Amino acid sequence: MLMDVLEQLVHGLTLGSMYAMVAAGLALMLGVARLINFAHGEFFMLGAYAFWYGYRQLELPYAVAGALAVAVMVLWGLAYQRTVIRAILPRSWHVQLIATLATSIVLTNLAIIVFGTQPKEVPTALSSRILDVGGFRMAAQRLLVLAGALVIFWALHRFVTRTRAGRAMRAMSQNREACAVVGVDVQQVALVTFGLSAALAAAAATLVSPLFNIFPDMGTGLTLKAFAAVVAGGFGYVNGAIAASFLIGITEALAGSYLSYQYKDAIAFLVMIAVLLWRPQGLFGRRLGI
Amino acid sequence: MRRAARLALVGVAVAAPWLVARVAPGQQRYVVHVLIFTVLFAALALSYDLVVGHVGALSLAHPAFFGVGAYTAALLATRAGWPFLADVLAAVVLAGAVALVAGVPLFRLTEHAFAVGTLAFALVAWIVATNWVDVTRGPLCVTGIPKPVTTLPAWYWLALGALGVVLLLYRGMTTFRLGRALHAVRDNAPLAAAAGIDPLRYRMLAFVAGGALAGGVGGIYAHYLSVFCPEEMTIALTVNLLVIVFLGGVGTLRGVLVGAVLFTALPEVLRLAPTWRLVIYGALLLVIVIRSPQGLDGLFRRAASASGR
Amino acid sequence: MALLEVRGLVKRFLGVTAVDGVDLTVGAGELVSLIGPNGSGKTTLFNCVTGYLGADAGRVLFRGEDVTRRPPHRIARLGLGRTFQHVSVFDRLSALENLLVFLQQHQEESVLARLVRTRRVRRLEAAAVERARALLDLVGLGPKSDAPAGSLSYGQRKLLAFAAALMPDPELILLDEPAAAVNPTMINQMKDHILALHRQGKTIVLVEHNMDVVMDISERVVVLDHGQKIAEGPPAAIRRDAGVIEAYFGR
Repeated sequence: MLMDVLEQLVHGLTLGSMYAMVAAGLALMLGVARLINFAHGEFFMLGAYAFWYGYRQLELPYAVAGALAVAVMVLWGLAYQRTVIRAILPRSWHVQLIATLATSIVLTNLAIIVFGTQPKEVPTALSSRILDVGGFRMAAQRLLVLAGALVIFWALHRFVTRTRAGRAMRAMSQNREACAVVGVDVQQVALVTFGLSAALAAAAATLVSPLFNIFPDMGTGLTLKAFAAVVAGGFGYVNGAIAASFLIGITEALAGSYLSYQYKDAIAFLVMIAVLLWRPQGLFGRRLGI
Repeated sequence: MRRAARLALVGVAVAAPWLVARVAPGQQRYVVHVLIFTVLFAALALSYDLVVGHVGALSLAHPAFFGVGAYTAALLATRAGWPFLADVLAAVVLAGAVALVAGVPLFRLTEHAFAVGTLAFALVAWIVATNWVDVTRGPLCVTGIPKPVTTLPAWYWLALGALGVVLLLYRGMTTFRLGRALHAVRDNAPLAAAAGIDPLRYRMLAFVAGGALAGGVGGIYAHYLSVFCPEEMTIALTVNLLVIVFLGGVGTLRGVLVGAVLFTALPEVLRLAPTWRLVIYGALLLVIVIRSPQGLDGLFRRAASASGR
Repeated sequence: MALLEVRGLVKRFLGVTAVDGVDLTVGAGELVSLIGPNGSGKTTLFNCVTGYLGADAGRVLFRGEDVTRRPPHRIARLGLGRTFQHVSVFDRLSALENLLVFLQQHQEESVLARLVRTRRVRRLEAAAVERARALLDLVGLGPKSDAPAGSLSYGQRKLLAFAAALMPDPELILLDEPAAAVNPTMINQMKDHILALHRQGKTIVLVEHNMDVVMDISERVVVLDHGQKIAEGPPAAIRRDAGVIEAYFGR
């Protein structure tokens, strides 16, 4: 019984790590660039396919394939920023939402055309290696996911607090107009933020893909959960989004195991709506800034 | 639009099956089938425009109401032997009721959270449709839904009748005092409140009416196809509706109708696979929303005023 | 019984107390100005009284009825009109329609009446149009009645918002900085309109920064600073009040 719960908690933490990395990128974009990006889940999806391609098709080592995925997604993120995002950044959030939703549909269906609807698997050495800790079993990859997430969040924190770019991002998240006045290049900062979000999503994909299947419309549900985390964590507050992501992950795992596997997503969403009703400003209050 | 022109248009619409039989006799079945789809999509798009265009709430929940209506009509017809009109009416009522119940918590959310919340709601509805196999048969779909009429022209006139009903309600709600109240809430909700208008009440009105009408269209759609599957209520439907509404002109009757015609006629002309269709629609929506958020109707109006008409 | 009574109103935001136990009484037919340095809580007080913000403590009574924390649309229907600090109109509606919106809610009860055009409703609408045109002429916007409100100049929009607030013939009118950001001719126009309303017996409360206007037309002046009332009295007395002078200049 305890083993069961522990197993589900570990699963929840794995999911949470994935959601948190994706949500952190989304929160950054919202906080820094005030951008609603409904195509965010597709960063993850494309990153996963890029990783698959590198690992399975090109037969690159795990780390190299991962680095490739991140590099590809950063380039993609920058390209997307220069074309679509540039055009919608000054517009109302309705326009941003619809435009990015449209992008999401385009990318999802292009993925279907290019990769087909059959899910891809990317088993690695660690995903098939089962650890046995006093009777409690789990795939070693899960440990890597959690450890990777923590390292990434630590690195993100250092980046945001210690580097000049990070400082510029924080300044922009608090007062955009003032930034332009003191000479911060707003477009540059937006570009960096975007590249960073894409990298986070790709990193998440690299870590998590060995455990789950890859399929073209995996992005939609992910976008929704990431948004749920961002909104519940207090719009644009990265730490809040991370915390809310873990909450969503654990809720999903426990609900999936003890309530209903098929309806686990529905339950997670309903819980999210309930949280928003209880605290409309999010779990941690409406905070801007990183 | 002038009276004579409007009457002529209605005349052409009603006489369409005969006109098609004259102009393209070999293709009649196919063209009328496309026309039926066009009319049903037009009705659905108008119901969506009530919410998005006239009260300004960016709801992504419409597929849920469409699906609730479709399943209600389908199940009442196949499991309980209800007649067509009765089960479509039930579809309208049930979809409206679901919209009412969902709307109360959803409208307590702020703008962004509302959009996300409605998206989540639509996804929940799809999950239920796919997994509640005892009732909906999940991916196996509800089949054998009886058809109240058998010939295609008859179906066309039935659909046209439904569009007529939706049109009447749409015009009624978007003009005169009710329309003014909805638009006031859309344009400046705090000011509307200062005028004594309760924003929540009018948002709910548009939301429930839109949802109920979507349910009715869903019921008719299910009867027409004889089959209804969960795939009909995914986010793709929301994107399709957004394309129609924004392509044509959000918040305008003429715009939405034009959008519906273009949206259903184009793919038939282009004969594309569903995935490519969505890629093109997505790209189209992207370009439109950035370049011309008022859609084609906006372009026409600007051209008309520029030429001094 | 006073028309408007505010008792011990408190409103806090994230640790800042914007309104700190303010008492205010306005009798029927009075013309009161509410002044104070920036951030003294004037507009917050307005928003609490009109239902846009929920008070944390204290009570608001309108004609003896407790309206604390009631939603704005309910308060508006009781006969309380207001304008907004940053001028607020319905951009996409015409000037005429802007005014019609303000009356329709006061004329009938049911949504059905708003949908079905019965003869009674048509008569009400015609009456509303007549009243709207009269008000537009009064503020000099007659020729612009069919123009979309968004196309009007700032001053014109201010006049439109003012006329709109008057449409339902409210007993009490709250004006938030009616003389701000407009040219002197417009200021005089506004002053004339306000005084005309006052002569008709309307009760008016102004929030205003323009001291000339305040001293010129007010019967009574209330001064807020840091969310508290620091002085109250006729304009001449306030002008000489040491505390008031310090609040404005002693920083």
